[in-house]
Amino acid sequence: MRALILRRLLTAIPMLLLVLLASFALMRFAPGGPFDGERPLAPETRAALEASYGLNLPMGEQFALFLRRTLTGDFGPSLVYRDFTVTQLIADSLPVSLTLGGLAIVLALVLGLAAGTVAALRPGGWADETLMLAATIVTALPSFVTGPLLALIFGLWLGLLPVGGLGESLASAPQYWVMPVIALALPVAGAIAKLARAGLAAALAQEHIRTARARGLSTAAIIERHALRPALVPVVSYLGPAAAGLLTGAVVIETVFALPGLGRYFVQGALNRDYPLIMAVILLYAALIIAFNLVADLLYGWLDPRSRA
Amino acid sequence: MRRIALPAAIVALVVLAALLLPVLLPWSHDAIDWDHVRAPARSPGHWLGTDELGRDRLARLAVASRITLLVALAAALVSMIVGIAWGMVAGWAGGRVDEAMMRIVDALYALPFMFIVIVLMVVFGRSILLVFVGIGLVEWLTMARIVRGQVMTLRHRPFVLAAQASGAPAGVILWRHILPNIAGVALAYLTLTLPGIIMIESFLSFLGLGVQEPLTSLGILVKEGADDMDVEPMGLLVPGGVMVTLLVCLTLIGERLRDRFA
Amino acid sequence: MSLYRLDAMSVAIGDRTLVRDVSLEIAPGECVALAGASGSGKSLTSLTPFGLSAGSITGSAMLEGQELAGLDEAGLRQLRRETVGFVFQQPLTALTPHRTAAQHLTESAMQAGGSRPDHAALVAMLDAVGLADPAIKLGRYPHQLSGGERQRLMIACAIAHGPKLLIADEPVSALDAYLRGEIMALLTRLRHERGMAMLLVSHDLASLEHHADRVLVMQDGEVVETGAAQAIARAPRHAYAQALWAATPSLKAPLPDDLPVPGAPLVEARGLTVRFAGSGLFARPVTAVDAVDLVLHAAEAVALIGGSGSGKSTIGRAIAGLGPVSAGTLRWKDAPLTARRSREQRRSIQPVFQDPVASLDPRWRVSDIIAEPLVHLRPDLTAWGRAGLVKKALQMVELDGALADRTPAGLSGGQAQRVAIARALVAEPELLVLDEATSALDPLVGAQIVALLKRLQREQGIAMLVITHDLALAAQFCHRAAVLDAGRIVESGPMAELIAAPRAAMTQRLVAAS
Repeated sequence: MRALILRRLLTAIPMLLLVLLASFALMRFAPGGPFDGERPLAPETRAALEASYGLNLPMGEQFALFLRRTLTGDFGPSLVYRDFTVTQLIADSLPVSLTLGGLAIVLALVLGLAAGTVAALRPGGWADETLMLAATIVTALPSFVTGPLLALIFGLWLGLLPVGGLGESLASAPQYWVMPVIALALPVAGAIAKLARAGLAAALAQEHIRTARARGLSTAAIIERHALRPALVPVVSYLGPAAAGLLTGAVVIETVFALPGLGRYFVQGALNRDYPLIMAVILLYAALIIAFNLVADLLYGWLDPRSRA
Repeated sequence: MRRIALPAAIVALVVLAALLLPVLLPWSHDAIDWDHVRAPARSPGHWLGTDELGRDRLARLAVASRITLLVALAAALVSMIVGIAWGMVAGWAGGRVDEAMMRIVDALYALPFMFIVIVLMVVFGRSILLVFVGIGLVEWLTMARIVRGQVMTLRHRPFVLAAQASGAPAGVILWRHILPNIAGVALAYLTLTLPGIIMIESFLSFLGLGVQEPLTSLGILVKEGADDMDVEPMGLLVPGGVMVTLLVCLTLIGERLRDRFA
Repeated sequence: MSLYRLDAMSVAIGDRTLVRDVSLEIAPGECVALAGASGSGKSLTSLTPFGLSAGSITGSAMLEGQELAGLDEAGLRQLRRETVGFVFQQPLTALTPHRTAAQHLTESAMQAGGSRPDHAALVAMLDAVGLADPAIKLGRYPHQLSGGERQRLMIACAIAHGPKLLIADEPVSALDAYLRGEIMALLTRLRHERGMAMLLVSHDLASLEHHADRVLVMQDGEVVETGAAQAIARAPRHAYAQALWAATPSLKAPLPDDLPVPGAPLVEARGLTVRFAGSGLFARPVTAVDAVDLVLHAAEAVALIGGSGSGKSTIGRAIAGLGPVSAGTLRWKDAPLTARRSREQRRSIQPVFQDPVASLDPRWRVSDIIAEPLVHLRPDLTAWGRAGLVKKALQMVELDGALADRTPAGLSGGQAQRVAIARALVAEPELLVLDEATSALDPLVGAQIVALLKRLQREQGIAMLVITHDLALAAQFCHRAAVLDAGRIVESGPMAELIAAPRAAMTQRLVAAS
């Protein structure tokens, strides 16, 4: 267990360094970046950049400075939102995205596991076929289709839920979260449903289930003690890609529903070439995905003792 | 095989329509009909109406479907070739080579590729080539992992050992024994990567980073439709419907192939 | 008053009747055995009345006077919980991999409503089935135990709730030969200690003499012979029963006296050592083969005998050029044998593997499979020449030429193994390395393959390295044997000497078990 965490951290660090290096190179040398003189910069911006990035220092020292700054969480000022530092922007918007993503994954797990279990109990039955078809359709619906559709139906036509924005504060009004969370969670729920169904059906077909039945155990006891853990293996393996999917989906959802989350700032930053912001967000997301993968691997070891050796 | 028939037929229908309609329709995808701007569906000469620039929606839909399918197929082929080659080498060599190769895959897997692709496109400009490359870069990883898993399983099967005992060199074994036995799985996952690629392309288009004017794609049409949705819902529903239908059918085909071969 | 009674019971799956009109009676404490090869219906007969197979029964099956036919799942479940215990064939797949031995035992002990056993009680349960170091083993997972230990655990679980009837479906067939006697003896002892009745399913007719009271021999879903175990096990009357009896070799049979005379040395291994890197981040390397010396002569059959993990397959692979060698020398007719082999060397040594279906490429046709060695090792031949040799090889293994166009999916296990042997013979090798060539086959089919090998030995004078865990099997046609334990040769010599006067502990176990 410990060896695994250690190994993961060891591979994570060089990778994050690589991302940093790539971002740094991108910023300094890419066409259309803030330094290449193509775009006329206001004198204050120029001065701020020179101060932050030490543009007159040799390259190695520039990178070292950049590295040190990053480690202390100082990404400098945003190029677009002049009055804010990148760190401030992230601190303001991250809670929104985390709440959105967190609620979405909980909803996706609940829906997906429930649907998958019901489908797996009678493989080939009508519940199985209907639920799996629904799951396939739901995974094929891009969030930028479901989002506006939900907004159209429940917001404009029925007037039940607000179409966008967040209201006063984060915790103020749950109704602002309903549609965004559902739209974000649906594709992931569909994928989880399929994986849970496949996992449980495969687990129930194993030989050791016959031994459990031979002991006269009830169906619930059999599933809980003998089938659940192997059934969850494909779901857990999916957690890493699921996190990535939620992150990209969140970008869309935040844009569609005008939520002030990190994804929206990222898109604005990408379109407007706000490099410090872009880099910070990429780094953050990379760290999040690595963390998710690590959690998935640890869970995996708990689920299947044979993989621990 | 029976259960593939229906979705396959639907996909074939869409492909056929995408290929033939632009030839049959009087309007091209970028021709402007000054008399009918923002026309609703079933206007004269325009079955699906026109968009805010007066272009025929149906013609644009057909061209968009073509482009989307083309991009998807090209990117899928790129990812398949790279992924299969990588996976075969790693799976066959085993040991340190395999560990190194798969660590690279693991590392790349953890990167939020979407974001890197976005950054690249912003920095280096928007070309359809970059769309291909970017998407191909994302999808080959899964194919590599799957192929490598399959090859490792087969590597120590007695029939491969017997081929070695028969004096066959590694290249011959890979080509004549291993490849035919993983072809089914590779094909199944190829069909499954197509929906993923279509989604990525439409996501990029949604952000304005994908295929550029005057060319169009399903993703662009959906975005435009979403923008206009309170005025003319058909602008969203029809391209959205076509995209979802394609995605669902391709997924169903891929899953049934996978169940058969894997 | 019988405990368990079947009256003209039939088993059907869908609309196919697979078992017809079986009648038997088991009194309390008695052991009745169902003997037959695979496909005879013996497993279906034993498991279906209790709802543990895909079929359903007609006729009558009564347990303690209660009728099982037509009983619903809840009723059957209660009987399984309280009155009956089950032991299955493959303990590795039959035990849930993510639960420890302690968890398995606790669940079994409590299934009939008993109270949770404490640590001492669990240790006692494992002790009663002869498991060494029970306290340590309690915390282990099934994959961390050896095959014999796993089966003992399964038996402990099956009797933990004190059943009156134990149903054992081929309990020792998947174990190495030398363990079989020990586990069967354990079952018999437990039976007598607890006054438990047993329904035993097995294909080893001869062994039933010591463990069963009565035997029913089944073929194709019907009972063809029944009687007292002693009588049937020693001298079966029905033709099928006789074939079954002959199919499991035992050392009581006389050794062959018509083996070909060995010639000049072919393979010489000195100090052969194979080490594998350990898995995981901090694992140490494993020595699979430790300084083994071996000599094999022309026309000679030498057996490498040992249990799982003894290193015998690793030696076979090294000699066949399919596995690594870490230290020591290998020579073929006085020339060194390394990883890079000349065409001549490859031609001379050919392997036959354990799983016949896995040793044939599922997408190739039989004729191409057999011709493959010729393509690479006889480049002097034309396609016509190759086709001729393929035909000859098929004849040698007694296969119909019409099979040449089939793919492996259309072959039975026995046919597939014959194709594998034909492929090994087609380039006219001097040595066949047979790695458990009959272990995966049905015993009747395996006996046929052994007969084929004996014929080839006589007619072609091919040398053979016979890797197996079954001493009695090897005794049928091997001149000498080397016994392996944990990578080392613990004893070797002429077959007759080894059997008559085994010196090493491992050899004695092997001899006693056969």
